[in-house]
Amino acid sequence: MTDNSIGQTSAEELLKPHSKWEDWKANFKRKGWILLFIIPAFIYVIVFCYIPMYGILVAFQDYMPGDPILGQGTHWVGWQNFQTFFSNPNFQDYFWNTFILCILGFIVGFPLPIIVALLLNSLRSKKMKKGLQILFYAPHFISLVVLVGMMKFIFGSDGLLDQLSAKMGGDPNGLKLFLNPDAFRPLFIFSGNWQDFGWSAIIYLAALSGVDPSLHEAAKIDGASRFKRIFSVDLPAILPTIVMLMILSVGNLMSCGYEKVLLMQTDGNLVTSEILSTYVYKFGLIGGQYGVGTAAGLFNSVINVALLVIANFTSKKLSGNSMW
Amino acid sequence: MKKAIIGVSVAVVWGVCVTMFALAAKPEQTTENQFTILTVKEDAVKDYNTMPVFQDLAKETGLDVKWTFQTSTQYGNNTDPVGIKGIDAIYHSGFSNLKLYDYGKRGRIVAIDQYLKVMPNFQKILDSRPDIKEALKSPDGHIYSLPRIEEMGLKQFPNILYLNKKWVEKLIDTNQMPSNVVLTKEQLKDGLDLKRSEFKAILEKFNQLDMDGDNDPKNEIPLSFVSNNWQGNEADLIASFGLPENREHKTVVGDKITFTFEDEKWFDAVKEIADWHDKELIRSSAFTQGENDFLARGQGGRYGSFYWWEKKTVCSNSDDYIIVKPLINDETGERYVGVSNEQEIEKGEAVILGSCENKESLLSYFDKFFEPIYSAQLNYGSIKSGAFKSEKVNGKLIPNDDHGEQSADDFRMKNAPYGVVYLTKETWEKSVEMESRAKLRLENLEAYVTPYKFEGATSIPNLNYSNEELVTLNTYEASLSNNVASWYANAITSGAVPTKASWQGFLDANKKSIEKVKEINQGAYDRYLEALNK
Repeated sequence: MTDNSIGQTSAEELLKPHSKWEDWKANFKRKGWILLFIIPAFIYVIVFCYIPMYGILVAFQDYMPGDPILGQGTHWVGWQNFQTFFSNPNFQDYFWNTFILCILGFIVGFPLPIIVALLLNSLRSKKMKKGLQILFYAPHFISLVVLVGMMKFIFGSDGLLDQLSAKMGGDPNGLKLFLNPDAFRPLFIFSGNWQDFGWSAIIYLAALSGVDPSLHEAAKIDGASRFKRIFSVDLPAILPTIVMLMILSVGNLMSCGYEKVLLMQTDGNLVTSEILSTYVYKFGLIGGQYGVGTAAGLFNSVINVALLVIANFTSKKLSGNSMW
Repeated sequence: MKKAIIGVSVAVVWGVCVTMFALAAKPEQTTENQFTILTVKEDAVKDYNTMPVFQDLAKETGLDVKWTFQTSTQYGNNTDPVGIKGIDAIYHSGFSNLKLYDYGKRGRIVAIDQYLKVMPNFQKILDSRPDIKEALKSPDGHIYSLPRIEEMGLKQFPNILYLNKKWVEKLIDTNQMPSNVVLTKEQLKDGLDLKRSEFKAILEKFNQLDMDGDNDPKNEIPLSFVSNNWQGNEADLIASFGLPENREHKTVVGDKITFTFEDEKWFDAVKEIADWHDKELIRSSAFTQGENDFLARGQGGRYGSFYWWEKKTVCSNSDDYIIVKPLINDETGERYVGVSNEQEIEKGEAVILGSCENKESLLSYFDKFFEPIYSAQLNYGSIKSGAFKSEKVNGKLIPNDDHGEQSADDFRMKNAPYGVVYLTKETWEKSVEMESRAKLRLENLEAYVTPYKFEGATSIPNLNYSNEELVTLNTYEASLSNNVASWYANAITSGAVPTKASWQGFLDANKKSIEKVKEINQGAYDRYLEALNK
């Protein structure tokens, strides 16, 4: 009978109206230790993402390395650095260049790994799949400097193609891809995607491996073609991953890295290749205008945050998937 | 009891550790006359502590100076070199005007002008040369660094045009000389006179024919240079249209700051160079290559002609090349050469840190560097290590070129610390003979280039700006030079003929920047002139 009574009380307890807080407490007691796993990530984010943020204050100072960021020797200048940055006659061009370069990179670069992952996943031969996958992501491990070196060697002035065309009696001045402002964006985007599409596909492949095989079997029995199954089974399965990654990439839309742009820059393509981050590098770090450089970087980050919020909101409304 | 014993022993061990660390961290006791100077040098350069010139200096001044080193890569990684602990000064600091001023106004480096009483040599220089004094000043009127002054008159004219004599001889031999050029083999020597149109016609032949005899008529490069480099650039080619061009397109003509790209002749020059490019006389690589690429391409003897400051480093067959005088303008029959803005008075060679305890002594030590006997040794290597011939001629030190198996360049690179020196026309006349390569170059310049300097053109000296002016300049100057560089490179290499409308459009788009930069530069230049005339 005792068993029964215990069962009864717990049933009563369960039926009692619970507050959310009590639920949470009970839950925490039972599974709270799992939270310990967050600690390394938490420390990482605090140390590398939040603590350095105090450096943003430099945007409002006449700063020089060695100055205290907060203290007696700090030279506050208010919004002057931002004024200097915004009144730069080329500011609009730099902004526009950044935007176009990044958005084009996004349009080309975002769907590519998804398509590749879906295609790889539906390959019948396991060996073929493994082989192709390695082949696709190998270029990821080439360093940027080497990549741009290769590009210059092949496409650059007096490069491989120019010499070939000269050998065959053509114009030795040939392609001039690195001097042509119109060629900069395609060159930048396609080389970037060539390098990274295989690597970015890995995360989608991982998501695809989690698709329940019985769904595929059911679809097969229903007579769905291979193509139909990709659209009706695989794609919906990885849709949350896609949306999440899209929101994250939109949040990075205005930052496409200065290193490669800088390496590819020549006087000839400056019209399209001078972007906000190269400006920050040249003016801020090389020119020693740390305040103005930080102001420009901060401006860039603010835009990124705004884009992130908009993307998240839109996706929440449209697909129900969101980060928060 | 046990706990108490453990507690006490932990406390004792802790105490011992702390004391030991404290003792270890305590800096060595330095006496008043001990200094540590950080210098930037490559590993191949000998240890400054063992160089006889520094040992002599230490003996003469009675100071104990210890040199520590960083390679330029290590040094470049310091975000705040002035913050390095345990040093009193930085030699070869390489600080820009802005950095000197920023550190100076924070008191982190010393305003040297306040210690002139212990620096008789430097005082004398500043008194006798107001231009040097003006050039060294920061916006607040202080001098924050010790300069390097080596006045050879070379930097203002950084380009000489060389032509492949062998190739021209081949044209004469094979009767393929262009019809508009009359040249005999005897004329093919240094100082050749050529009109621009004649030069162009020769380059066209270089491009069409297999000049180097490897059965590949397309691998010859008729004319090469490094666009936008401080030397060996195409400025003199543009200047031949009748304007004082330099790589910054900015110069002083009759006390007025002038942008050459505003002149219609500049547009004509760009149009013509674009034509040369389209006709394959200039390769597009001239606009993308750096010095090293340029030198590497030249080694195979592929250059028909090139702009550089000398010919030995450019090609292995350097004897085949002769100097062409600045090209003659076809319409006026005149020659024109612009003046570069490279300075022979270099700021930022050495700075004294604010934390240095005995600034007077250290500055009196550095003051010795300006004496000819030390300047010469710092520039070429110590007398005791054989940098100069044992016998003076007319009281002058003669640099020794013969170092056995070691080349003169190699010797100098390893033995000469460079840095703070004062070598002027007077020094060259009285105390030290110029190095033979520099002398040869100077002779070449005097014979073939400098006589054709654009009348009234001078270089822009180191100018001083107020804080507000600096902010405005920062806003406009960098973007303007970006825009000029890209318009220029595009106009020439795009393959389309540059139109006047596009040039005018470029000028209009940058009108405000041009006006602002000119106005601020002019103001500063006027103040500079005023200070000189005082």
